[in-house]
Amino acid sequence: MAASSSLRLGVLYPREMNLYGDRGNVLALVRRAALRGVELEVMTLGLDGGPPQEIEACSGFLIGGGQDLDQLALAHDLVARKGPALREAVSGGAPLLAVCAGYQLLGKHYRTATGDLIPGLGILPLRTEAGPRRLVGNILVAANPGLGLSNPLLVGFENHSGRTMLEPGLQPLGEVVRGEGNDGDSGAEGAILGSVIGTYLHGPLLPKNPALADWWLFAAADRTGTTLDRSHLDDSAEEAARREAIQITLRGSRARGYRLLGRRARIRRTG
Amino acid sequence: MSWADPRTRLALLAGKVTAWASRGLRMGGGTTLPGDVARAIDPRVLRKLAASPRRGTVLVTGTNGKTTTAALLRRMATAAGWRTGGNQSGSNLIYGLTAAAIAHADLRGRMDVDWLVLEVDELSALAAARELRPEILVVLNAFRDQLDRSFEVDQVAARLGEAVAALPETAVAVLNSDDPRIAALDGAARTSLFGIEDREADRGGLPESADRPVCPRCGTSLHFDAVYYGQCGDYRCPACGWSRPSPAMRVIRVIGAGLEHVELTLAGPGGGVGPVEVPLAGAHNAANVAAAAAAALEMGADWDQIEHGLQQFRPAFGRSQVVRWRQRQVRLLLAKNPAGMQASLEAVLGGDAGPVLGLALNDGIADGTDISWIWDVEFEKLATVGPRWIVLSGRRAAELALRLRYAGLAASRLLVRPAPEEALDELAERAAPGTAAPALLTYTAMLAWHRTVVGAGGAKPFWTEG
Repeated sequence: MAASSSLRLGVLYPREMNLYGDRGNVLALVRRAALRGVELEVMTLGLDGGPPQEIEACSGFLIGGGQDLDQLALAHDLVARKGPALREAVSGGAPLLAVCAGYQLLGKHYRTATGDLIPGLGILPLRTEAGPRRLVGNILVAANPGLGLSNPLLVGFENHSGRTMLEPGLQPLGEVVRGEGNDGDSGAEGAILGSVIGTYLHGPLLPKNPALADWWLFAAADRTGTTLDRSHLDDSAEEAARREAIQITLRGSRARGYRLLGRRARIRRTG
Repeated sequence: MSWADPRTRLALLAGKVTAWASRGLRMGGGTTLPGDVARAIDPRVLRKLAASPRRGTVLVTGTNGKTTTAALLRRMATAAGWRTGGNQSGSNLIYGLTAAAIAHADLRGRMDVDWLVLEVDELSALAAARELRPEILVVLNAFRDQLDRSFEVDQVAARLGEAVAALPETAVAVLNSDDPRIAALDGAARTSLFGIEDREADRGGLPESADRPVCPRCGTSLHFDAVYYGQCGDYRCPACGWSRPSPAMRVIRVIGAGLEHVELTLAGPGGGVGPVEVPLAGAHNAANVAAAAAAALEMGADWDQIEHGLQQFRPAFGRSQVVRWRQRQVRLLLAKNPAGMQASLEAVLGGDAGPVLGLALNDGIADGTDISWIWDVEFEKLATVGPRWIVLSGRRAAELALRLRYAGLAASRLLVRPAPEEALDELAERAAPGTAAPALLTYTAMLAWHRTVVGAGGAKPFWTEG
C-alpha cells in the first residue's frame, strides 16, 4: 500500500462491546496517532455494517468487552459475516487488540455458566469456560519480552468469570505480577499471536499503557507503509496515572479485604 | 400472636441495646449492627415487624435517586399528616432495614408510625419485598454501578424484576416508564407508571455512558426519539413495535437552571402541580419527584399535600448540599457512577457554573474499586465550555487528570490536589464571591470532604437555603 499520513482504526461493535470505558482505548489511539503526526480515522464495524471491503480498508482493529447477552448476538455476526475478511487482515499484519469478552470471542468457543456454547472466531487457539466465581480487581502484568514494549509493566483492572485456557504453543501476553489473569491459577495473562493480542485488562487499557498503544500504532503503520514519528513522547500525565494505579495495586491487602468487607461496605452505600 | 415468642422479644431488646451501645461508644455501626444482632437471634424479626406500621411500608429501589426519592416521599407523607419512619442514614441492605424497623418499634414490636418509607439496595429488594410485604415498591432505574461487584446491568434489572414479582397481591409497583428495563417489569398485580414527557428536555441522543438497551420482547436495539438522562427517554423497538408505555404520572415541563434548583410541572390522575422549584439539579431529579408523587398518590395523599411536601423539601446529605470553606461556598454533588456523573456534569454546564469545578474520584470498596467508568463520561464538553479551572482530587486524581487530558483539556487548566483540604482550598480560592463552586464526588470522597469541612475550625455544614 502506498505511504499515507493517515491510518484507519476499525472498532468492532462499539455499541454493544463498551461495558467498561472501552472508549478510552479509541481516545488513546487517536491522541497518540495525532502526536505522532498521523491522523487516525475511526470506523465503526457494527452489527449492521462492516462488509468485507470496509474491513480490508482498516489498518487495524479494536474489540471491547460486553455482557454475555451481547456476546450471543455478536458471535454469529463476527464468525459468519466479518470472520473471513478479519482473518485475512490480521494474517497480513493488521493489529487486533481484543479486550475481555472480545478476547474470549477470538478463541474457539466460550462455554457459559448455563452450559451454552458460544462459538468464537478461532483466530487464537484457546477456549474459555465460565468459572464459579468472578476474577475481579486491579492487575499488573509483566508483558512478554517478545513484544518489545518500551515499558513492559502493564497496568489495569480485570473482571471476568471466564477461565481461558491457551493451547500448547500459544504465548500469553505476559505474566501476572498481581491479580488473576487468564484463569486465576496459571499466572498467564492474555495471549499474543502475530499481530493479535487478547487480554483481560479491560476498559481503558491503552491510556495507562501508552507502550501498548504504540505497539498497535507501529504495527498498523508497518502494515500500511505509513510514515509515523516514532520518537519518545511526553508521557508525564500517563506516568502519574500509572504510578497511582501501581501503588494501589501493590497494597496487596485490598484484595483480601474486598471479600471480607464487601457486605459491610455496601451498607454505607446509598442511592 | 408472634409477640408471645420470647425469641423475637429478645431480638428486639438486643437490637435496641446494640443501637444504644454503639451510639454511646461512637462505633459508627449504629445504623446496621442492631440489625445484624437482632437477626442473629431471630432471623424472622423483620417479617414480624412487617405489620407494625399503621398504614404500611413503601420501598424505594433503583441505582440512582433512592435517598432523594425516599426523602421527597417522607416530606409528602408528612404534609398529608402521617407519621413516617425510615432509614435516613442510608443503610439500605436487609440489615440496615432491620435496624431501622427496630429503631421505630417498641419492645413489643409496636410502631408509632403510619408509614415506613425505606430505601433499599437493588440487590436486597427481593429479600425486603418478601420480608416486609410492602404496600408500594418504587423502582427508579437500573444503571451501571459498581460492576466490579460482578453484576451487570441486565442482571440488576432481572433481580429488580424478581422483587416486583414477589410483591403481595394487594401491592402496587411504581415503575419508571422512561427506563426500558424497568418499564418492562410486568410481574406485579398492579402497576403505576411515571415518566418525563417534555421534548424540550431532550439531550439529543444517548450519552456514551448509557447501557444501550434492547427490546425485552425481541432483543432488537431500541430506537430513542428523546433521551432525558442515562438510557431513560422515549423509546420504541424498530422491529416488533414494542414501545415506552404511557405513564399516568408525567413531568410535562422540566427546566434545569443550573445546580440550585430544577423547575418542573407535574400532571397526573386527578390533578397536577407546578411549575414548582425543587432544590435539586437535573432532569433525573424531576423523575425522582414524579416517582415520589406517584407513590404519594398511591398512599392516599392528595395533590395539595404533594405540592406542600415539595415546598418543604431540603436535599439530603451530599445531594447538592452547600458547605462553607474559608469564607467561600462549595456545593457537594454525589456522583457515584457514570449516569450520575454525566447528569451532574450536564447540570453544571447547564447553568452558570462559575470559574472552577471540583472532581473527586476514590476507588474504595463503597465507590467500586473499578474506575474504568470515568472514560464513559463525556468530559469532552469541558474542553470548550464551562469552568476555567478543574480541581482534581481523591485517590485516583491522576487518573481523572489523564481522562481530562484525553478529553482535550489543556494541562494548564488542571489542578491535581489529591487531599480534600488542598482541593477545598483551591476551590475556595478560585470560586467567585457569593457563588458556590460545584464539586462532583464519589461516595467515599463525599464522606472525606464532608468530614474535612465539619472538622475544620469554624467551618460548619449547612443545608441549601437552610
